[in-house]
Amino acid sequence: MLIGIIAAAVAAVIVLIVLFKLCWRVAEPNEALIISGSRHRTEGVGEGLGFRVVTGRGTLVTPGIQAVRKLSLDLNEADLDVECVTSQGIPLQVKGVVIFKVGDDTVSIANAARRFLDQQKFMGQRVHNVFAGHLRSIVGGLTVEEMIRDRERLTGETRAASGSEMEKLGLIIDSLQIQEILDPTGYIKNLAAPHAAAVQRDARIAAAAADREATEAEQESFARKAEATRNSGIQQAGYQAEMDTAAARALQAGPLAEAAARQEVVVQETKVAELEGLRKEQQLQAEVRKPADARAYETRTKADADRDARISAAQAQAKETELKAAAEANRVKIAAVAEAEATKARGLASAEATRATGQAEAASAEAKGLAAAEAARALGLAEAEAIKARAAALAENQEAVVAQQLAENWPEIVRAGADAFGNVEHMVLLNGAEGMGEMFAKALTMGGTGLGLARQLLGSMAPGTGTAAGSAEPVPAAPAKPTAQSIPVQSDPTD
Amino acid sequence: MIGYTGRVTGKVGQGLVGEVMVHVPERVGSEAFLAYLAVPGEPLPVGTTVVVVEYQPPRTVFVASTSV
Repeated sequence: MLIGIIAAAVAAVIVLIVLFKLCWRVAEPNEALIISGSRHRTEGVGEGLGFRVVTGRGTLVTPGIQAVRKLSLDLNEADLDVECVTSQGIPLQVKGVVIFKVGDDTVSIANAARRFLDQQKFMGQRVHNVFAGHLRSIVGGLTVEEMIRDRERLTGETRAASGSEMEKLGLIIDSLQIQEILDPTGYIKNLAAPHAAAVQRDARIAAAAADREATEAEQESFARKAEATRNSGIQQAGYQAEMDTAAARALQAGPLAEAAARQEVVVQETKVAELEGLRKEQQLQAEVRKPADARAYETRTKADADRDARISAAQAQAKETELKAAAEANRVKIAAVAEAEATKARGLASAEATRATGQAEAASAEAKGLAAAEAARALGLAEAEAIKARAAALAENQEAVVAQQLAENWPEIVRAGADAFGNVEHMVLLNGAEGMGEMFAKALTMGGTGLGLARQLLGSMAPGTGTAAGSAEPVPAAPAKPTAQSIPVQSDPTD
Repeated sequence: MIGYTGRVTGKVGQGLVGEVMVHVPERVGSEAFLAYLAVPGEPLPVGTTVVVVEYQPPRTVFVASTSV
């Protein structure tokens, strides 16, 4: 009984649930429920449409009385593939896609529901047709360049043209994409060719520049590396040198210290020697120089004194001499005056005497002269006579005249022969006193020889009148031998 | 709808049909609307913030720039 009651209750609950399920409809987020069959007032949709739009919630419907239909609010897409011609007359094939959906507001859902509720599958086709028409007209007003460069304008114009129509259909365009613009004539390709070439050129230039820069950077990097290596090497060498220096210095430290110590010793010794020298100098100063100076001073002073004394003595002597001279001069002067007086007197006396003498002499001379003139006259007359006589004699006997002349001038001849020996300082005669006599004889013979010569001369002058030579030889020296001319004379070598 | 603010996604200008995205709180989302200039003047470029001045159901609005 109880079980029957429980079962009946359960069955009733199940029936209730099933009934509820039959009456309760829920709209999914991506769909709208279009409920028709009774009068409804729907916001935004005018009266008399007679259906209700429910989105996003559940609602009770009366099965059998109301009809519930679902309208998808999902995204739809329509592929566009439109053959069109641009304003330049170039045929193009535009490919694109339109993404659209039913509008979310009630009016749009109602509009779409009335148009597409049974034809939701053909929605894309319809939209395609709408857009194809519009695209053709829009592309017909554009050039290829504008289409390529200004896609925004294409979409904007498409939206402007198709917006209100889509609004009528209750659809909104989420996206309109022009995917491809194909041109069978190759216009776009040719259009792009210069740009492509330029771009290619620029790319090559850029690549070359980049390559160059990279190479430069690389080479610079190598150079930097080399520089760094060099610097490092230099630094290392420097440090090595410093280390070597330090090592060498350390090695030399011992000898250096020794040398320094020795140097110190030498310095000290030098100082000692200097001090010693100083001390000796001081000592010498005290022992030698000072006494010497004193002695020198003494000598100098003495010499000065001596000199002064001598000067004084000389001055005294000079004075004395001067005085003496003055006295002598005075005396001489007096004596001279006296002498002059005496001389004057003597002169006067002498003059008187001389005058007297002169007068006497003149008288005597006059007498003498007269006598002499007379004598001379007599002598001249006598000589004239003599000459006349001699001339006559000469005319008669020339030889005798010459001999007489020679005899008269004999002393001069002999003097001239002696003059030859006057210039001889030393004479050595080898055969003694006999030689001497012989030599003088020879010298005198020369006069005889001269006589001979004179005779020859006279003979040659007057051959008619000349007598034979050697008829009378009055000269005693005539027989001298001519061989005696070779006189052995040896002169003193010192002469 | 009037008084809501949105953003221009397609240039709005004199003689042009633009597009604005407007947030609609009742439907918890942003929707695209066809837009016209509410005040004749300078065109509103893409990205301008606008306010809805007038609404013509179902999907047409007249907008003005908020910065004016």
